[in-house]
Amino acid sequence: MQYVIIGSSAAGISAVEAIRTKDKDSKIVVISDEKKPLYSRCLISYLLAGTIDEKKIWYRKDSFFKNNKVNALLGIKAIEINTKKKEILLDNKEKVEFDRLLIATGASPKLESIPGIDKSGVFPLRTIEHAIKIQAMLGKVKSVAVLGGGLIGLRAAYALKNCGKDVSVFVKSGSILSQIVDKGAAGLMQKRIEEKGIKIFTGVAAKEITGDKSMKGVTLDNGSKHGCELVIIGKGVSPNMEIAKDSGIKINRGILTNDSLKTNVKDIFAAGDVSETNDIALGEGSINAIWPAACEQGRIAGLNMTGEKETYEGSLAMNSIEFFGLPVISVGITKPKNDTYEEIVKKDAARNIYKKVVLKDGIIAGVVFVNSIENIGVIGALIKNKADITGIKDIILEDYFDYGKIIPLIKKSKKGFRGPEFKETILTL
Amino acid sequence: MAKPTGNPINDQLLEIAAQNNISTIWDRFMEQEPHCGFGTLGVCCKICNLGPCRIDPFGEGAQKGACGADADTISARNLTRNTAAGAACHSDHGRDLARTLLELGKGIAKDYSIKDPEKLRRFAVEFGVKIENKSDLKIAEELGEAILKEFGQQEGELTLLKRAPKKQQEIWRKTNVSPRGIDIEVVQAMSRTHIGCDNEYKHVLEAAIRSSLVDGWGGSMIATELSDILFGSPQPIRAEINLGVLKEDEVNILLHGHEPLLSDIIVTASQDKEIQELVRKNGAKGINLSGICCTAAEVLMRHGVPMAGNFLQQELAIITGAVEAMIVDIQCIMPSLPEVAKHYHTKLISTSPKAKFAGMEHIEFHEKEAMATAKKILKIAIENYKNRNRSKVNIPKEKMTLVAGFTMENIFYNLGGSFRPSYRPLNDAIISGRIRGVAGVIGCDNPKNQSGMCHADMVRELIKNDVLVVQTGCSGGACAKAGLLTPEAAFKFAGEGLREICETVGIPPVLHTGSCVDNTRILTACCEMVKEGGIGNSIDELPVAGAAPEWMSEKAIAIGWYFVTSGIFVTIGSPLRVLGSKNVTNYICNEIEPIYGGKWAFEGDPIKAAHLMIAHIDKKREALKLKPIMCAKV
Amino acid sequence: MKKIYCNIKKCLGCGSCEIACAVEHSKSKELNNTISESPLPIKRRRAEFVEENIAISTGCQHCDNAACVTACMAAAMYKELKTGLTQHDRDKCVGCWMCIMSCPFGAITREKQEKQVVKCDLCPDRDKPACVEACPTRALSLGTFKEFKKICNM
Repeated sequence: MQYVIIGSSAAGISAVEAIRTKDKDSKIVVISDEKKPLYSRCLISYLLAGTIDEKKIWYRKDSFFKNNKVNALLGIKAIEINTKKKEILLDNKEKVEFDRLLIATGASPKLESIPGIDKSGVFPLRTIEHAIKIQAMLGKVKSVAVLGGGLIGLRAAYALKNCGKDVSVFVKSGSILSQIVDKGAAGLMQKRIEEKGIKIFTGVAAKEITGDKSMKGVTLDNGSKHGCELVIIGKGVSPNMEIAKDSGIKINRGILTNDSLKTNVKDIFAAGDVSETNDIALGEGSINAIWPAACEQGRIAGLNMTGEKETYEGSLAMNSIEFFGLPVISVGITKPKNDTYEEIVKKDAARNIYKKVVLKDGIIAGVVFVNSIENIGVIGALIKNKADITGIKDIILEDYFDYGKIIPLIKKSKKGFRGPEFKETILTL
Repeated sequence: MAKPTGNPINDQLLEIAAQNNISTIWDRFMEQEPHCGFGTLGVCCKICNLGPCRIDPFGEGAQKGACGADADTISARNLTRNTAAGAACHSDHGRDLARTLLELGKGIAKDYSIKDPEKLRRFAVEFGVKIENKSDLKIAEELGEAILKEFGQQEGELTLLKRAPKKQQEIWRKTNVSPRGIDIEVVQAMSRTHIGCDNEYKHVLEAAIRSSLVDGWGGSMIATELSDILFGSPQPIRAEINLGVLKEDEVNILLHGHEPLLSDIIVTASQDKEIQELVRKNGAKGINLSGICCTAAEVLMRHGVPMAGNFLQQELAIITGAVEAMIVDIQCIMPSLPEVAKHYHTKLISTSPKAKFAGMEHIEFHEKEAMATAKKILKIAIENYKNRNRSKVNIPKEKMTLVAGFTMENIFYNLGGSFRPSYRPLNDAIISGRIRGVAGVIGCDNPKNQSGMCHADMVRELIKNDVLVVQTGCSGGACAKAGLLTPEAAFKFAGEGLREICETVGIPPVLHTGSCVDNTRILTACCEMVKEGGIGNSIDELPVAGAAPEWMSEKAIAIGWYFVTSGIFVTIGSPLRVLGSKNVTNYICNEIEPIYGGKWAFEGDPIKAAHLMIAHIDKKREALKLKPIMCAKV
Repeated sequence: MKKIYCNIKKCLGCGSCEIACAVEHSKSKELNNTISESPLPIKRRRAEFVEENIAISTGCQHCDNAACVTACMAAAMYKELKTGLTQHDRDKCVGCWMCIMSCPFGAITREKQEKQVVKCDLCPDRDKPACVEACPTRALSLGTFKEFKKICNM
């Protein structure tokens, strides 16, 4: 049996470890286009900010492959899958055979097609290489323009402000973090970020990046010009699906998978940022390109590749960020698209607290907390397990809401809360 | 089995207890560990039915009780109620003595008599009773009435506050704590701390201070003076202490509790011919009375009755198997005693209408029939002698001699050999630097600290540094057991300056002045030291300090407060239950010093605490520009 | 795996476990000194009200498939192979709060000043966890689930 995994970040690593819990002897081959892939992508902005040193970004030690008896082909890109021959073509013209395949190729930063996007001094921020290159030129940088007000953009902005640079963020939509939180939460975050000296411009996008040998600046779609020496692109990621092209593997937003993380092709699985899975809150297919989802999917895919029959219940959008001491966490749907959803909000401007849950038919579909983030995981559990919270609606956003308050729900729940730990806590109720 | 206490006598008996599955205070104390943190920090409030509420001392959980009270209010109210309870005990003690004095004057309580008529007259004058051409009994009646009136007084000031230096009196008036009457302050301390009443913490604590002053300059002081009047003003006397005072061949009777109204009569009754006859008939060589707690101190001082042990040893005394009866009245009596006694022949007899215990025979003691009741109780004890099971008897060998019975009147008959008491020699000794200052080391014993051993450690450190120590209660007992209450202790442990004084006068470096109410002797002494002059014009200027290194009871809290607010620095071995409120802690440990001249300090290590006291005394000496210590040690 | 279980039938919600936990995780490890420490120690155990007259003392459940371990992007939360316990490596923790986001028991708390998280570590320096020792009704116990069921006669 030869397992092949394309990709060695969160999903790939989790799959390797999961396979080895069940199958200690069969061969595993891991193919990654990065020379040193065992780092945590999420820590790249911390590295850039100087909050951590290079030692801390490694998610697994170098000995990981050896210890797990993995044949690691690093710095090599897989470019084509032959599903009939069960063969992968690599960019060095070599071929690798597989009995079971996991596509965990992740996603890449979206780069807009605006003039000047390919100038030197323009970077996305996703890999170590990006961080190293940016760090190398920081000596010549005074001002930075960040295009995009999402997680990557703001993390990059925070990192570069920490490095002492003058930072401006240009956000096309009306508020920062518009993909993950609502205006109520975003407003508090924006206020804090601006108080600390990062400039935020909403409702405006870059039209062109100007300059010749050295970067001059960006021109915005409202006509104004903004001088800078470094541009960071934070416009989201798109899944690396090219490898599935013409292979017969069905794709949509991402590579389509079922609740065993199998693709439509036998013996081929997908996990991580490249895979489209059922979003528990939306009740439809989606890509939640976040670290915990990739790890969980990699784990279950890995187990199922060995013949286990684990069910993946689906993913949820989940994000946690903190800027200048103000944290915001969101899970699920925070900006409902229609009025079939109900919203309960609790605000405390003086303490910078914003709490909101989004409900449908008594079941929580999403939650966002700014500042007072303790116990949000309990609400996350209610979302995942689709618990009916009608009985506790009026206490769910209170400071004193905690796990104890959902214990009666767990006891009543027939299908949800199957984890053994839940049962253990309610044994004596 | 409880952890060894480090005290060989106690540990010896604890082993026997363990073998017989008898639980003692040390076992039960361990079972209570860890004590509730909310209670310890003073942030548990049980005052109303919105609760019980607690404040999270770590700042995350509830910061206010249901009514809105915060940690400051809650701990201040709790402390005030504790203080009031302690003051109530001493008020009642004083009240009982005043009533007995009145009944004696009226010819009802015939078994009592005036033992110190001169003191009676002096005291009567203080209370505004005219003494010319009146019999002792008539004066007694009028004095009794005058004192009892003060208990019910609604306006004005307590009589004995006038003993204090003018500065203290003015401070009390200015800070709105000068007590108006005895009972009213205790009642109002309770009513003010009701839900939704007094809530501002400094104001709440005013009620605590009032209660404490009512104790120190009211109930307790009255009790001390009346005990001298009714039972005799003590003179220095030699006696013995520790469980070794129990006798193999005599009827051992333990007197436990606080009121000499009971214990003193029992001492007298035990000498009665009829009783002595009964003793011989029952095969014993005599009656061996000994005491536990403060009542022990009362009869020790006046009659040389030996002290069997401290508060913590009351169960151990029974476990010796040699006790025919333990007669108890009020305060500091463990309700566990019947459980212990059921393993032995020991009879437990409760006597106070205020204190009953399940498992004890109750023979209520009333002053009208004092002697008859006393004899009745003694007879029960004597007839129990034949039930002693010799195989269960384990009387430890250890006992120690001590000299006790120092009062503020008699001590300075000796110093300098004057005809009349004078504080001149003491003040001169302090001025010249032979004596650094005076420390009062008082209070209970507590497994939280070292089950009594802190007292000796602290006192040794103090006298090593030429501080003259005065003691009362269980603290005195603890140091006596360690051999510190003998003149010989001066040679062994005292610094040179102090030793010189003790040698010359023939006193121990540590002076036992009586029971817990007799802490007021120390207050009176301070007033005399001020009057004598040269070492301060008010109590807060004196080079003195106080300590209760193992406090346990609410009475100790009241006593501590009255010393602090009379101008004296007091350090105690475990904190008052206020640490959950930074404001209250800061107020009582810092802010009140410039106001009253005294403050609280919390220090568990007895040596460190001793040095806090020494530093404070030195500070006072410096302020008085006194000569440096003659034989200063490092 | 031995971990801490709470018998709800005996839990009075008094909070003694919380205090004992905080004291154990303080610098001085002694109540009267602990409360004057700066910063104050953080409790990892909470007495939580469930409903009328019912309370539970809860903390980290050391889950088999721990959500915090899955979520941790710094590999600071990990499963200790020998004991099966969920452990936290302070050297690796960057304070991203993803574990707090994921824990269904709300068992993880921020140590804001240090930008670290804290959670129940089963008191590695003690024979018996501080909360178990402090529980005045013996509602808390340390043991396997089997042992716990036995204690509760279930």
